[in-house]
Amino acid sequence: MVAAAGHLRVYSCKLFFDAAMPRRIALVEDDPAIRANYADALRKHGHDVQAYGSRGEAMAAFRGRLPDLAILDIGLGEDHDGGFALCRDLRALSAGLPIIFLTARDSDFDVVSGLRMGADDYLTKDVSLPHLLARVAALFRRIDVQREPKAAEDLLERGPLALDMKRFTAAWAGARVELTLTEFWMVHALARFPGHVKNREQLMREANLVVDDDTVTSHMKRIRRKFQAIAPAFDEIETVYGMGYRWKG
Amino acid sequence: MRLRSTKSKLSTAWATGGKAESPALPGGAPARAGLKFFRFFSLGLRGKLAFAALVLLALPWVGWRYVQEMEGFLLDAQEQTLLGTARAVSTALHERPSLLQLRPVPPRTPETPPQENLPPDRVTVGSASGNGPLANESAGIDHEGEVAAILKGIERSTSRIWVVNREFRVIALAGSLKRSSVAPNDAGWMEHLMQVLVAAIIQRPSEDFDEATPEDVLSSGREVIAALQGAPRTRIRQTADGKAAIVSAAHPIWSGDDVVGAVVAEESTNSILSVRNRALERLLFATLVAFVLAGAVLLALATRISWRIRRLRDEAEGAIDAQGRITRVFSGSNAGDEIGDLSRSFSSVLERLAEHHSYLETMASRLSHELRTPVAVVRSSLENLKLEPSPGEARVYLQRAEQGLARLSTILTRMSEATRLEQGLQATERERFDLVHVTAGCVEGYRSAFQDREFELSIPDEPVFVQGSPELIAQMMDKLVDNANDFGEPGTPISVRLERVGAAPDLGDPGSVVLSVGNRGKPLPEGTRERLFASMVSMRRDAGGEKPHLGLGLYVARLIAEFHRGTILAENLSDGQGVAVRVTFKALG
Repeated sequence: MVAAAGHLRVYSCKLFFDAAMPRRIALVEDDPAIRANYADALRKHGHDVQAYGSRGEAMAAFRGRLPDLAILDIGLGEDHDGGFALCRDLRALSAGLPIIFLTARDSDFDVVSGLRMGADDYLTKDVSLPHLLARVAALFRRIDVQREPKAAEDLLERGPLALDMKRFTAAWAGARVELTLTEFWMVHALARFPGHVKNREQLMREANLVVDDDTVTSHMKRIRRKFQAIAPAFDEIETVYGMGYRWKG
Repeated sequence: MRLRSTKSKLSTAWATGGKAESPALPGGAPARAGLKFFRFFSLGLRGKLAFAALVLLALPWVGWRYVQEMEGFLLDAQEQTLLGTARAVSTALHERPSLLQLRPVPPRTPETPPQENLPPDRVTVGSASGNGPLANESAGIDHEGEVAAILKGIERSTSRIWVVNREFRVIALAGSLKRSSVAPNDAGWMEHLMQVLVAAIIQRPSEDFDEATPEDVLSSGREVIAALQGAPRTRIRQTADGKAAIVSAAHPIWSGDDVVGAVVAEESTNSILSVRNRALERLLFATLVAFVLAGAVLLALATRISWRIRRLRDEAEGAIDAQGRITRVFSGSNAGDEIGDLSRSFSSVLERLAEHHSYLETMASRLSHELRTPVAVVRSSLENLKLEPSPGEARVYLQRAEQGLARLSTILTRMSEATRLEQGLQATERERFDLVHVTAGCVEGYRSAFQDREFELSIPDEPVFVQGSPELIAQMMDKLVDNANDFGEPGTPISVRLERVGAAPDLGDPGSVVLSVGNRGKPLPEGTRERLFASMVSMRRDAGGEKPHLGLGLYVARLIAEFHRGTILAENLSDGQGVAVRVTFKALG
């Protein structure tokens, strides 16, 4: 368990885990080889993994008992958008259950659809296992912290911006900004050193993500839009053309 | 290494799709010149139809033949009528030899033509009008008076009847050849025009002709001679002045078995001629109307057909742009004829071509999508393997496998980049931004990213605003600079220029702005400039270095330029020592 933590890139070194009760993770993936590989890797990190090959099979199991976290593929065999439907159904069963999309589809349309369905994060299959595990750990930590009473907070404050490093939540002038993990990490990378330009590669590294430049651009667009939904005059993230992005501060 | 060679094979295989067209070009040029030469002598559809319409000219000729037939028929009838008249008169004079008694031949003075200037309608009897030598022959006078009385009874307005005795002496004469009254010309302007036109072709019958005296006629009158020999005969002769034709019929007068004289009935053919002329006038009128109508219909038809064909041609040409892409598939015409059929088949051909084209363009992204899952299998397997304790040697191979995998991932990402961009463009909002600021910022970034490359930046002093997305412009700049860096000779600078052209502030025309990225190096081969910006077309001869080249960079640049309603083109520098890619945008005021 401790050895596994070495692979993770997380900002807080206080890793929460409950040794007595392993986390139950549901993995829904139609490709048997990938399913087995991810399941093995997660098991090696001390998780209790249930792997399902189809939507029906998974849904039947979820009705019996909900997992602690779900990793879903979008295309499930013949069921082209099975993952989306599954996500919707799962959200209906539990509002707080962390859901991650892990899929080969990388179009903006799919990303936006997936996040609208209520997923906490959207990953393409380019993601490496350590990155995936970092996310899984971060999401678990978020749930755990939410259960705890408000204790000593690990807060990063930049003007109206407040980033809760334990709960992975962001707030602007006291209002909660619903960021996905990827987005949270990107905002954190920028806001940590206001005025410094972070290029796309740095942002990807900070967000435990391997994607192309375009995806970083569309992530930044989405982040801006989420802040602007709360404060229409939001203009803290500056694009430095040809280089990257900068938190004005 | 293996991976890279596979990649280059793939890209050449895709590139041949575009290359296959080029060998056709040299053969095509003379063929086109020949076509132009042929076109010089050929007529348009309208000209051809007009030429074909000349067949209609046979119609007036046929009409003319018909009128001629009719004329002959009428003349025949007239001859028969006259002969009938002559027969009737002679019947009245048969067996009355006393009426045609021989008289002494009067000494005639040739200088006084006795029957000249006879007033029409006046029955003149022989030379009884007062020529001295015959006046006292009372018996003759009486006889001649009786004949004149008979003739008077059958006098007709347009014919002249005379009676001769065996000595060729005119005993009695009645009527005139001239028609007393010609129908007044109350024709409308149209008919009048026809009359003028017909008169230009055929002479109108004239009443102003020389009424030859019977004596003059007698000497050459074969019909009279024949009649005096006992055979009725008709003849058509010209008047002395040739202005009219006279039909004459002669019938013998019998007395027992002897011919004692002859009755000659004459009539001018003018009535027939005027009927013929009227027929010709009407024929000409009808022909002209038919001509005009047929011409108008043919012209309209030809214009419509050629318009439809030209429209089809324009549509077919407009469907494919300079880069060979199918820009729009026109809907086939609904017309049920051959042109409609052609249009529909064009439409379906283009549709199939467009499908194939979009299949090719999306092939890269679909391929990358399909390859993602097996790559994920390999990646997750390797990563699981890394979690296991493994001997030192295995670590090296694992590392190499991961390197290869990383490169494969980059290829897959690039392959789908264009498609993702195309999808993203639809949702991209356009904003007004300063192109100078973006360009300067980008070049600043490239100076730190490409440490061993010098950048020459030339930008206007004041901001230049354009409509679009600054992020996309930066992405396009990335592609262009990347391309320039790969093709530029090492150590030579990359020039980035931004300039305004054609601005006319007085007229409120902000003009255009040209962004060009140039590098020193080998010029572009001829005929590749437009294809450069197509998907999966790469002009790189070498296999490239670490970075995979799929020929999508400039395609992405083109997509972005077109999103900004700009044009992109590559050209060799004027000194032939390099290449510049120029993107032209419309500037905002």
